[in-house]
Amino acid sequence: MARFYVAGVDAGSTYTKAALVDDEGKLVATAVLMTGVRIIEAARRAYEEVLNKAGISRDDVRYLVGTGYGRYNITFGNTQITEISCHAKGAHYLFPGTRTVLDMGGQDTKAIRINERGEVVDFCMNDKCAAGTGRFIEGAAKALGLSLKEVGELSLKGKKPVKISSTCAVFAETETMEQLAWGNSIEDVLYGVHSSMATRSIGLLRRVGIEPELTFTGGVSLNPGMVKCLEEQLGMKINTSPLTMFCGAIGAALFGLEKLKSKPVTTASGVRM
Amino acid sequence: MSQQLDRAKQLQGELVKQYYKQVRETVERGGKVAYCFVMANPIELLKVFDIAPIYPEITSLQISYRGGAPPLIGLSEEFGYSTDCCGYVKMGVATVLNNGQTSIGYIPTPDLAMLTYSGCQIYIHWWEQYQYLRGTPVFTIDIPYVRDYDGHIPRHDIRYVAGQLEELIPKLEQFTGKRFDEEKLREIIRLSAEAWDLWRRCLETGKLKPSPIDAYFEAIYYMSAITLIRGSRECVDFYRFLLDELMARYEQGVGPTPEERFRLVFEGVPNYPFFSRFWGLFRGWNARCVAATYPKVAGIIDMGAFSLNPDKPIESLAEYMIHAYCNWNMISRANLIQRYVREYEADGVVIHSIKSCRSFSMGHGDIREYLIKDLDVPALHIESDHVDPRYYSEAQLKNRVDAFFESLSIRKGV
Ligand SMILES: Nc1ncnc2c1ncn2[C@@H]1O[C@H](COP(=O)(O)OP(=O)(O)OP(=O)(O)O)[C@@H](O)[C@H]1O
Ligand code: SF4
Ligand SMILES: [Mg+2]
Repeated sequence: MARFYVAGVDAGSTYTKAALVDDEGKLVATAVLMTGVRIIEAARRAYEEVLNKAGISRDDVRYLVGTGYGRYNITFGNTQITEISCHAKGAHYLFPGTRTVLDMGGQDTKAIRINERGEVVDFCMNDKCAAGTGRFIEGAAKALGLSLKEVGELSLKGKKPVKISSTCAVFAETETMEQLAWGNSIEDVLYGVHSSMATRSIGLLRRVGIEPELTFTGGVSLNPGMVKCLEEQLGMKINTSPLTMFCGAIGAALFGLEKLKSKPVTTASGVRM
Repeated sequence: MSQQLDRAKQLQGELVKQYYKQVRETVERGGKVAYCFVMANPIELLKVFDIAPIYPEITSLQISYRGGAPPLIGLSEEFGYSTDCCGYVKMGVATVLNNGQTSIGYIPTPDLAMLTYSGCQIYIHWWEQYQYLRGTPVFTIDIPYVRDYDGHIPRHDIRYVAGQLEELIPKLEQFTGKRFDEEKLREIIRLSAEAWDLWRRCLETGKLKPSPIDAYFEAIYYMSAITLIRGSRECVDFYRFLLDELMARYEQGVGPTPEERFRLVFEGVPNYPFFSRFWGLFRGWNARCVAATYPKVAGIIDMGAFSLNPDKPIESLAEYMIHAYCNWNMISRANLIQRYVREYEADGVVIHSIKSCRSFSMGHGDIREYLIKDLDVPALHIESDHVDPRYYSEAQLKNRVDAFFESLSIRKGV
């Protein structure tokens, strides 16, 4: 039995994820739910769920780090760290050979270069617009009345990707319907959706430089259609796992552990804790 | 930091008020008002003819700083300007459409538009808009781009600009009915040169460790004097006061942030509508900008690029006009940033692009890559706008800025 635990909560724009590591930095449990409008509520519930899964109580948790867009809403935590640093650390934990990270979330795509210690060397993000992010796939799924799981799987059956030039998240539904109206099959349209998003992300990755191994994180890494398109276009294998969606939360928990082991953690308020 | 050592900012506020008062007095005396650009204007020459300058770029940023941009931008967009057009242009045009009425008070409309065409292509169309709206005469000086990568300018370029200034003189005589007084020009240039030199020394205090100045966020306040009132005794006095204040700060070990954890070089135009919050993104991390390019838009005063010389008034004015920051080619600009990093011992570079301006934001992506990949200098590239609040999204900026500092902390081991 571990002496204590450390938690990470990633309040993303779409999903809130929580992760728990033990005193030796071993991942114990994860939890996920929709963020919705009440960020703090979602964070609390994700945290409780991860505690339940591990069968422990709040008192067993010595430190909690918040990350993601809603990190400043996680008032019950000890400190906040950006998801860029956290995804880097989480990816390095799951795949220690990682040098490049691609995090595709609900509204942001981030390309991150890291060193052999999992520290951020450089990063680039999509600009303010959410084109080509997870939100676009959500829109396409909605237009077709399919689940997120289904869109990814169906796209694998596509033969020839339909060219999608605009991946604007707002017009995702119209764009998808338009392509179907032209007589394209659902499979080919979805293949096209994933393919054009992959192209866009690779452009972002090139700006930080693509050095193997590349680890794909964030919710979209659960989508097999996206993984296939990225591998096809990059001509290399990429790392993913059912846990890569949790990299932000895992990294946050690991930062918490480092802090407890008294490596300085720097926060946004400039305070060294 | 005690109030005692932060008096220059108040003083510059008073100077700005005084400047507007002087413009109004000139109008009352029957003097003329010229609209001028911050970059490359021959204000010393206009002063000889008792012409008062209004800088629409400055009035726009001042209005925007106080939250007054949206109605003016809206007015120009209704008039037909696209959302993609520069916010300064839209605010400057709207000010005249509105007969000078703005949220910071009355801004006199132009009697002449002094077009110093350097770096920015929109300048021409902007000034022509005044001609179209009010029949304002446009006096144009074409300024060649600095093409050499080492910042050198050929003699014939200087002659080309000096020749145009010589042609301008009889035109101004005709326009104002006043005779050109060369002795007066020399005296104004002497005062200008003195102020430029003091201002350079103020900015160079950023080399001290810790730096007593934020050579970007504070310099933006301080630079108003060199732009608005150079060529006057008050301007010289102001920079002497500032230099003393900065040295006193250094001696007492105080500065613009409680401590100096990071030393930054800043490139790009700031965000004015949210200026204080924008600064806060960096100040919160105890970061001080030790050098920056923007405070040199009006003239690259360091690096020995130019110096005003009362013995060669027209030629040295021409040389000054060529060395506006956006008139430098991209490679020279990247090299300047690199020199700042080295000479000011900075930890990293922050590049802020603005949606409005190609002239300033051109090449920012490449400069970022060059710094990181070729020079191993950490660099952050962020974007908003200088005057249009619609392009500021703080959560996204904060995310990037925080991540940058998190990685700088690890790199520096602080
Ligand atoms: N089971 C799943 N199968 C396929 N895709 C999924 C699945 N779950 C989530 N996604 C995708 O992941 C996206 C959300 O990812 P994630 O949870 O990483 O985002 P976030 O962290 O909330 O957002 P951001 O980082 O942009 O603020 C959704 O838009 C969706 O496209
Ligand atoms: S585009 Fe840039 S240089 Fe031109 S007027 Fe606008 S801000 Fe100034
Ligand atoms: Mg996320």
